[in-house]
Amino acid sequence: MKASDIIAVLPELILLVAAGAILLVEAFLKPRVVRDENGAVCGEAPADRTAVMAIALVGFAASIAVALLLYGHDRTAFAGMMALDSWAIFFKVLFGITGFITVLMSSSYLEAHRRHMGEYYALLVFAVIGLDLMAGARDFILFYVSFELMSIASYLLAAYFRYRKHSNEAALKYFLTGSFASAIMLYGISLIYGETGFTNYTAIARSLGGHEGAPAVVFAILLIGVGLAFKVSAAPFHMWTPDVYQGAPTPVTAFFATGPKIGAFSVFMTAFFMAFPGAAHEWGIFFLVLSILTMLVGNLFALVQSNIKRMLAYSSIAHAGYLLAGLAAVGLGSFVGRSTYPDPAKGVLIYLVAYAFMNLGAFAVLAYLKTQCPDKFDFSLKHFAGLGRRSPWAGALLSLFLLSLAGIPGTAGFIGKFYVFSGIVQLGYWWLAVIGVLMSAVSAYYYLRVIIYMWFREPEEELVLRAPISGSMAAALTLAAAATILIGIVPQRLWDAVAQAVASLFS
Amino acid sequence: MLTILTFLPVAGALLMLIFMRGRPNAYKTAALATTIIVFALSVYLAATFKTGTADFQFQENHSWISSLGINYHLGIDGISLLLVLLTTLLSMVAILGTWNSIKDRGLAFFISLLVLETGMLGVFISMDLFLFYVFWEIQLIPMYFIIGIWGGPRRVYAAIKFFLYTFAGSVLMLVAILAIVWSYRNSGGPLTFDILTLQHAGFGGTIAALSFAAFFIAFAIKVPMFPVHTWLPDAHTEAPTAGSVILAGVLLKMGVYGMIRFCIGFFPAVAVKAMLPVIILSVIAVIYGAAMSLVQNDMKRLVAYSSVSHMGFVTLGLFTFTAQGVQGSILQMISHGILTGALFMIVGFFYDRTHTRLIKDYGGLARPMPVAAAFLSLFVIGSLGLPGLSGFVGEFLILVGTFQYMKVFAVLASVGIILGAAYLLWMYQRTMFQHANEKWLSLKDLSAREIITLVPLVGMAIWIGIYPHTFLNMIDVPAQNILHQVQPYLAQHGGSVLRFASALFGGN
Repeated sequence: MKASDIIAVLPELILLVAAGAILLVEAFLKPRVVRDENGAVCGEAPADRTAVMAIALVGFAASIAVALLLYGHDRTAFAGMMALDSWAIFFKVLFGITGFITVLMSSSYLEAHRRHMGEYYALLVFAVIGLDLMAGARDFILFYVSFELMSIASYLLAAYFRYRKHSNEAALKYFLTGSFASAIMLYGISLIYGETGFTNYTAIARSLGGHEGAPAVVFAILLIGVGLAFKVSAAPFHMWTPDVYQGAPTPVTAFFATGPKIGAFSVFMTAFFMAFPGAAHEWGIFFLVLSILTMLVGNLFALVQSNIKRMLAYSSIAHAGYLLAGLAAVGLGSFVGRSTYPDPAKGVLIYLVAYAFMNLGAFAVLAYLKTQCPDKFDFSLKHFAGLGRRSPWAGALLSLFLLSLAGIPGTAGFIGKFYVFSGIVQLGYWWLAVIGVLMSAVSAYYYLRVIIYMWFREPEEELVLRAPISGSMAAALTLAAAATILIGIVPQRLWDAVAQAVASLFS
Repeated sequence: MLTILTFLPVAGALLMLIFMRGRPNAYKTAALATTIIVFALSVYLAATFKTGTADFQFQENHSWISSLGINYHLGIDGISLLLVLLTTLLSMVAILGTWNSIKDRGLAFFISLLVLETGMLGVFISMDLFLFYVFWEIQLIPMYFIIGIWGGPRRVYAAIKFFLYTFAGSVLMLVAILAIVWSYRNSGGPLTFDILTLQHAGFGGTIAALSFAAFFIAFAIKVPMFPVHTWLPDAHTEAPTAGSVILAGVLLKMGVYGMIRFCIGFFPAVAVKAMLPVIILSVIAVIYGAAMSLVQNDMKRLVAYSSVSHMGFVTLGLFTFTAQGVQGSILQMISHGILTGALFMIVGFFYDRTHTRLIKDYGGLARPMPVAAAFLSLFVIGSLGLPGLSGFVGEFLILVGTFQYMKVFAVLASVGIILGAAYLLWMYQRTMFQHANEKWLSLKDLSAREIITLVPLVGMAIWIGIYPHTFLNMIDVPAQNILHQVQPYLAQHGGSVLRFASALFGGN
């Protein structure tokens, strides 16, 4: 290890400092003293957690800023275990933003549930550190360790409402399936190590050179793929998703739907492109089967959900399907000698960014609605009736995010789908694109159904609403909405960044 | 110029949203003023438009998403110009006509109408496929809300049916767009979404056939052609008056416009091969729509099915690929937009007073409302194709064109005209004459506002009916251009199609 290796992990170090500071400051926060109108002490209230939230926000902002400053200073560090290139920076910034928005939407939600504690933010920051390292990893060992860091933090976050049955169920389910997936993946990694003697991506590729078709290698690739497929909740490894998404606290769900999923996709691409380029056809077919299944399962099951959180869980499965279709095209396309076009890969990256913002936005609206009425509101469709009249802004924003998820032009979701399907069609797999767009036409039905309830129906029962929107929640919604529209209208800058990122991977 | 025209309605809507919340009179006036300015602008465009050329005029071209060769490229030719005029006219009329009908959430309603106008104008003036697709999809949203929020009792069903039908068609079109763009790129051309460039690309083989099919299905749903018309009666019936007027008047034309620009423009060879099936479907639509109209007991549903019949004429004329057929088809679009829009408007006026659309609830309305009855009679006879009004010119030209192609279809289509006379006059008789319903004797006749709403439509119907040259001049060269594109293939394949058809149907 050289001293200069530290530079490559600066964004993560900043986050680590932030997480430590959060835990430290949290210990010194004093409960507030509550006084009655005469000024006499009558009880204690939980401490004001604004300070820890601020530390988390500053930490994320600083890590984004440093990551951006490091742009152009490409290097590998720790004996080639990790790289700092435009690819890693792209994802570090994206994860930073994901964490930032999640923090913003969390405070008032946790406040409303009287569980506003510093550990929450620390866990979130740890999860993002894991994600950052996953994107930068160029070695299976580092990847696995960071993957576990992210996962364990996630299990704890899922169980954050420990007195709630649903939250416990979610955490346990997530933990069991997650560990199972990790074990499968680790087995795949060990097989690769046994075959080649390396854990480094490029070293594996060099060592395999031409022998990728060997059964043990294909089997190992399959195992690693399955392990990651659990995390992106691709069918048939999606069973845990609806329960976990429904049971976890809503801001945590927002994070689950975006962060770990995007992280797993970044590894799908780094590990598979760099370590197994010769087996592109094999993993292309693997992704192809996975993507068709996932698109079908996600969309068809989402059709029959009456709980919006569950519906969004299935919709996130469906979106993983579109993304996998992009990966399948990369793999299959490079096999027939057209790898000079990494365009589907660029499309996947654009989609991931769009996906992050519109999902964070949609879940943020859900979190806001829950904050407004923590006891009664249970995300069931009937509670959305008349929302457009009750709170027009929340209704309008949720409509925007849902339309974006459905892929209506003018929104980020359309640009994402457009680029992914454009890449797929470019490589000649138009029939895959046809399946994809038909499925997204199906998806329009269940997204529009929510809009119908919000705007076209009158509420069956009046919900008693609490205080107006908090500043941080408004900021989270504004950020997500602005990004959703901006990417939808002027995607060129994003494309340039994506092209840089992909180029650094393929060079 | 075109940018201002297109986005002025949205700008007006934004102003209304920011400054005029909760002040109905202010935002209504603002909405009307916006549409009047837009209409004036479009008339100014028409006045400075150079006829006698198929070139696109008033072009604007800026790079938008350079990585995929997508440009913000606008321009109009004669066909687009006519449809732009129709759009701006009907938007204005729709706002004036529903001045007092919308009680609930009026601001949102008028904003939706204005956004819809932007979407429709954008569809007609886009010269970039990506831009076209964006506008094509965006106009779905306001229309969806217009039907879903302010519509009739079955509005939710109608709204989602409308949305899903169109959306399913258009996502297939998206794949086709990507397919032809990349196929052009892979065959050595630049990566571009520019419509004019792609029109000269000359696509062939499987890709052309499949892409033609995808484009055609998307547009056929919009037109709507038999058998994908089933969303239309529901949407028309449940939509509020303004929604029906715009839907029938403009949205259906977007389908035909797409066929002209893309199905024929990009794939003339496939279009020629598809001639016979399309013509057969069109004739079925003409007769089927008319027959369905005969048995409707709801006035709006009747007018809706008559749209299926009349739009059948439009696709029939277009796919004969004769000069008269194509010109008649374009003119019939405009005429149908005006007449059917007007019919929906008057039905809406009746509905505002009686809150029923069932024919059997009416009767003898000519006595309390003579002015309304007079207007209705004018639009009814215009719609059934009486010479002197706009409906006649288009249908006549289409029949002439069809006759040249194959007599049997012209004969079958004229059955549709006869049925048209039957259902329209029968409806008129049952609602305006016959035994008067006591309930309605005290109804007030049309107000000055309602008369002002209808006058421009009457004017246009008579103008097109008596002096169609003004409009034929605009579309003459573009129509020739269409024929020019298909001519080489007509010579190749047309013969065999004709022989096949005459073997089947005994034509010339």
